[in-house]
Amino acid sequence: MTTLTDPGGHGPAATSTDPTDPATARARASGTSTAPIAPPASDALLSATVRYSARRCTALVLVALAGAGANLVLPVALGRALDLLLTADPAATRWVLWCATLMLLLAVLDAVETVVGGTTNARATAWLRRRLTGHVLAVGPRAVARSGPGDLVARLVGNAAQAGTAPATVAALLAALAGPVGAVVALALIDPWPAGVFLVGAPVLALLLRGLARDSSACVTRYQELQGRIAGGLAEAVAGARTIAAAGTAGRTVARVLRPLPELSREGHRMWRVQGRAAAQAAAVAPLLQIGVLATAGALLARRQVSVGELLAASRYAVLAAGVGVLVGQLSGLVRARAAARRLSEVLAEPPLAYGEHRLPPSGRGRLELRGVTVRRGARPVLDGVDLVVPAGTTLAVVGRSGAGKSLLAAVAGRLVDPDEGEVRLDGVPLRALDRRELREAITHAFERPALLGDSIEDTIALGVSRPAPGRVRRAAEAARADVFIDRLPHGYATRCAEAPLSGGEAQRLGLARAFTRAPRLLVLDDALSSLDTVTERHITAALLHGTPARTRLLITHRPTTAASADTVVWLDGGRVRATGTHRELWRLPGYRELFGAGGDGSVGAGGASGGVRNVGRSGPAGPAGRAGRAGRAGRVGRAGKRSASDGVCGPPFPARGET
Amino acid sequence: MRGRRPDRQPNSPTPATEPDSGEQRVESRAASSEEHPEPRTANSEGRPEPRTADGEKRPGPRTADGEGTGPVGSDRADATPGDTVGAPPGGTAGSATARVVAEPPAPPRTPHPTPAKPTAPPHTPHPGLPGRGVRFLWRRASVVVRLVAWSVLETAQTFLMGYALAQALDEGFLAGRAGVGLAWLGVGAAAVVVGAFGTGRVYGCVAALVEPLRDRLVRGVVERGVREADDGALSGLTQQVEIARDTFAGLVMVSRSFVFTAAGALVGLFSLAPPLLLVVVPPLVVGVALFLASLRPLARRQEAFLVADEALATGLGAVCPGLRDITAAGAEESVADDTGRGVDAEYRAARSLARWGVLRVASLAVGGQLPVVLLLAAAPWLLARGVTAGALIGALAYVTQSLLPALQNLVHGLGTSGSRLAVVLRRLAPADEPSHAPRRGPGPAPAPMTRPTGPRQEPASPPAAAHPTAPRTPAAAPPTPTDPPLPPTPPDALTLSSVTFAYGPAAAPVIEDLDLRVPRGTHLAVVGPSGIGKSTLAGIVAGLLLPRHGSVHLCGHRVPGATSRAHRVLIPQEAYVFRGSLAENLGELRPKPVPQEELWAAAEAVGLTELMERLGGPGAEIDPGALSAGERQLIALARAHLSDAPVVILDEATCHLDPEAEERAERAFVRRPGTTLVVVAHRAGSAHRADRVLVMDGRRVAFGTHDDLMTRSPLYRDLMGTWSPTAPVPSSPTAPVLSSPTDLVPSSEPALALGDPDGVDPVARARLAGDGGHVVAHGPVGQMKAAGDLRDGGTLGSQG
Repeated sequence: MTTLTDPGGHGPAATSTDPTDPATARARASGTSTAPIAPPASDALLSATVRYSARRCTALVLVALAGAGANLVLPVALGRALDLLLTADPAATRWVLWCATLMLLLAVLDAVETVVGGTTNARATAWLRRRLTGHVLAVGPRAVARSGPGDLVARLVGNAAQAGTAPATVAALLAALAGPVGAVVALALIDPWPAGVFLVGAPVLALLLRGLARDSSACVTRYQELQGRIAGGLAEAVAGARTIAAAGTAGRTVARVLRPLPELSREGHRMWRVQGRAAAQAAAVAPLLQIGVLATAGALLARRQVSVGELLAASRYAVLAAGVGVLVGQLSGLVRARAAARRLSEVLAEPPLAYGEHRLPPSGRGRLELRGVTVRRGARPVLDGVDLVVPAGTTLAVVGRSGAGKSLLAAVAGRLVDPDEGEVRLDGVPLRALDRRELREAITHAFERPALLGDSIEDTIALGVSRPAPGRVRRAAEAARADVFIDRLPHGYATRCAEAPLSGGEAQRLGLARAFTRAPRLLVLDDALSSLDTVTERHITAALLHGTPARTRLLITHRPTTAASADTVVWLDGGRVRATGTHRELWRLPGYRELFGAGGDGSVGAGGASGGVRNVGRSGPAGPAGRAGRAGRAGRVGRAGKRSASDGVCGPPFPARGET
Repeated sequence: MRGRRPDRQPNSPTPATEPDSGEQRVESRAASSEEHPEPRTANSEGRPEPRTADGEKRPGPRTADGEGTGPVGSDRADATPGDTVGAPPGGTAGSATARVVAEPPAPPRTPHPTPAKPTAPPHTPHPGLPGRGVRFLWRRASVVVRLVAWSVLETAQTFLMGYALAQALDEGFLAGRAGVGLAWLGVGAAAVVVGAFGTGRVYGCVAALVEPLRDRLVRGVVERGVREADDGALSGLTQQVEIARDTFAGLVMVSRSFVFTAAGALVGLFSLAPPLLLVVVPPLVVGVALFLASLRPLARRQEAFLVADEALATGLGAVCPGLRDITAAGAEESVADDTGRGVDAEYRAARSLARWGVLRVASLAVGGQLPVVLLLAAAPWLLARGVTAGALIGALAYVTQSLLPALQNLVHGLGTSGSRLAVVLRRLAPADEPSHAPRRGPGPAPAPMTRPTGPRQEPASPPAAAHPTAPRTPAAAPPTPTDPPLPPTPPDALTLSSVTFAYGPAAAPVIEDLDLRVPRGTHLAVVGPSGIGKSTLAGIVAGLLLPRHGSVHLCGHRVPGATSRAHRVLIPQEAYVFRGSLAENLGELRPKPVPQEELWAAAEAVGLTELMERLGGPGAEIDPGALSAGERQLIALARAHLSDAPVVILDEATCHLDPEAEERAERAFVRRPGTTLVVVAHRAGSAHRADRVLVMDGRRVAFGTHDDLMTRSPLYRDLMGTWSPTAPVPSSPTAPVLSSPTDLVPSSEPALALGDPDGVDPVARARLAGDGGHVVAHGPVGQMKAAGDLRDGGTLGSQG
């Protein structure tokens, strides 16, 4: 058995603070003042992104404009060179050289644009992502409150990449506009007729391109529906994989899951046909437009109103002018970037959890106070004026139906969430006023379903403000009874989390081990024993209660054994404290018994209250234990119960208040 | 202390070395259910090991065109037993025994028999992606031919566009005959229309290539998902397959377009004036060569970028649902550092990719733009050789309007979507690498299809009577280390000899040197704390997991073996019910549709009748999501009851039923003719009802009857104590632990030393109400939430 704490150790940086009221008031003031709630508009974020890349943006604009200019000059130069060549003019060589220079310049500009544009996108994206992840981490669990973790990941990955293209898109926009406009003007300069033909034909082009968008989305829905059916069947089969493997019915199952495949294939073919029609239209329009311009120019050539070179130039300008599609693409890219930026600024609008600078008094041992704590979700109070005092070193169990607000109470007690009203104090210091590291060292949590972060099993246990020594990780795993299954993993503690085949109970034990690596003043277990079998649970509860003499514990539980092992039980109902007392006392209340699925007969539970963990570690049969401990009852909840580690129990006698 | 042989390091699966690239890391973990830690051990690919260790045939590749090998469901043949292999149950008078092996252990059996031929992977030889691509196209030669035929129209368009322009100038406009010029341009316009028609048709042909690929990928993903229980398969199905579909289509379009456009342009140049080719072709070839040379480094950068991007997404996918834990632990800095590293890595990869993009620009400049300059420079020479002005203009048109755009599309399309496709395909349809991940073939004794095929043999006496009163006192249990040789008696239902199992070469064994003999007709319960290896044992018995050492026999047949599946049925905790008719669900383990009466009888036996009536009889279509976990378990139990297997393994298969329903279901199997029942117990009652109980406690085990174990196994007492609804059990902590002859403790230590501070408390406890007799508080699989508990307005509020 491991001792989990070195008593008195409250983290390396525990310095003295004066938890008097003025101090806390100051802290609170500073705490609130450091929470700027000014949701930046999406355009603000977008322009911030562009500003971040200002120099690159400027460079890109210049390069793109130079490129557009060179592109506009080139047809004239080509035409001139061709005319001179056809007349065998000696000046032709100079013009050919000009053309070569222009094309080289274009290639160089293109290369510069490719590199600078690409790196600008990458740089802006990285900047956005770093900024956003930092913010999300500072906000904490509320960041996923609105739309869930999956959506947040999509924002950080996909939307950040889209918004990151904004600087380069903005820079390219001007050039994309300059190209087609300049081409039409140049066309008109050669002769107004070809320009006129182009301008008349262009709307036709636009109309036909619209047809593309109208047609193609028709059969996508059915396709996705069928895809969903296959995915549904696969999800069922993956969940039932063991059955299928054992029965050897994989082939049958695969065939059944794939039943909608032929129809999916038909729908797929239809999608391609629709797209093919649209593409055919698009493929025809631009060349026809160009032929129109050529025909006009040709007729003028026949009348010697334009030269061969000018005809060549006109045909090139027609192509350039038809590149108006590029402009449309750039614009829609900008629209996408803006939409993405809006989704990102929604993330940034969530205010971060603000921390104070105060430290805990070194003498404190983890007295937790909740004063009038109310938390609302929407208009509904989920916790409603909860007052609680957990004396230092005692164990409080919180029970209640699901939805009663238990987990929220645990989150408020550990400041994962701030109450809308009221205050939570640890050893007299309001949690809001506490320094972040101090707070997180002083309070640790274990959850029903811990997130297994970090690369390896060892990493996930060691997760915290500072990295604990490997030995400590091992000891904590032992205390959480996780060592047995960790040793059985392919690489023990170095096994990657993703590769570790962990059950819910095993994951829970890793979460407990994470909590056990620290020596906090307050340990919050949010239903963290729920997936353990009763034997293992008893061992862990024993470690929890006896291996850690000096800390306060808050246990959210559904199990009577756990409730029985606590000094005090708080029965939460509809966000309010319905009753407080020992498990044995509360057991007399029928409603309390019903919480545990027990019927009217109260005697069973009363006997049960004496069970639990207290015997563990004694050499002989001790009989219904805890009696001695229970005898030494202190006063009200508010009065700190003195507690001797050997007694194991020291409950405030708090008579059951009954149903309030 | 025997039985520990740490020096034995057989050639068990190589440890995972490569990072798992799977998405949804956290989710998949959260979704795995309590008590089933076994088969997701990673092999060298980081993927879960295949769960079939039974020599199951993997159907060969099936394409939409119908080629390929195995018909769907060919492996059903393996699962159709027609026998109970012989004689009445209870051969050795219900004496389930286990012994401390006295004889030297059998020579360690190679845990992985060399892959045998039935495990032919989907693609027999593996020439890598390009090779597979070529074969894929080769099989669809007719489609390719059609594609070529329609593409020729585009070639014609390309050709005519330049040629008509040249003729329009030379014959028409320059000759002063505007009408002729316009006529030639009209020809060009007609060619454009025809070419566009061809483009539309090309899409149809591309669909005929792409859709089969999609079908095939979907098939592969579903197969792998089903066989390897890979949750990642779902994202593969919906996203990666679509990426593959789109990129492959793009690839076909772009490369085809380049080939045929280039052909049309070159033919056009030749027909205008052959010397033009001398000017245009060399730079074009150089440009394409440059591009092809750059393809590999570019693809590598592209892939590096995709990998970095995916790694970042995976990392964030773990961080976002874990924000609660990060905040609670105060680990913001370290997590920010970690994700920051991911962001930086992605940035570096993207930057590198952008820089290498210069190569594309260079190949474009050389292949597409240099010919223009050269045409101008060589114009005097060309004109001197009779090249007309119109031909020169036509050549310029070919270069600038056909070749350059086609090359541009090729360079950008192949560079990006090509490597994207490669990455996705490699992930979706990995070529099996036999050297790394040996597919588990059938055992050394294949005995293909040679099991008795006679009708199911009914036992002479009702089985309930055959073994109703397994002796409940330790004294009555026969001493067993000396197995009386009983040559004529049929083999035991189940024998394990010195079985050792671990999840990796470096991992501590879950089961070590276990010997167990279960005669026919026995009702055996397996108990122990959660995660101790009960399900692992069930998996080994069923042949889903291969022991590192030792051997397993079911009804005298080696496990895993070709026929072992016919001898047992395993029902795990998470009942598999699929969308389909109830009859289909119930008859899943039978080769042919089951008669209605038999369905109703089985339903009655396990207690499914009420549900069956409510759903509307066997023909009713069922939606698994609409059924409760307990109802799904009842369906799975009825399915097992209907199967022909003589050995039934219930691995907490009744955990969602109430105790009465559980008892009814278990009794149904006890009454089932010729059945040996192995129950991984969920409640005390299961152990109580059993003839024999196996108590697992780490590597130590104890075996005996209920009464026997109550006196000598503290752990068993402890488990019973917390479970038992009955009065206090005798608390005699001084009961001798090793005195019983039926003791099966491979290591000669007491099951749990008394006074062990880590041990369990020997004192009986009254049952706590509300524990419901559950030994495992199971989060039912269906209710498992993703790790991100803190969600949504209700986050902290709605729960708790």
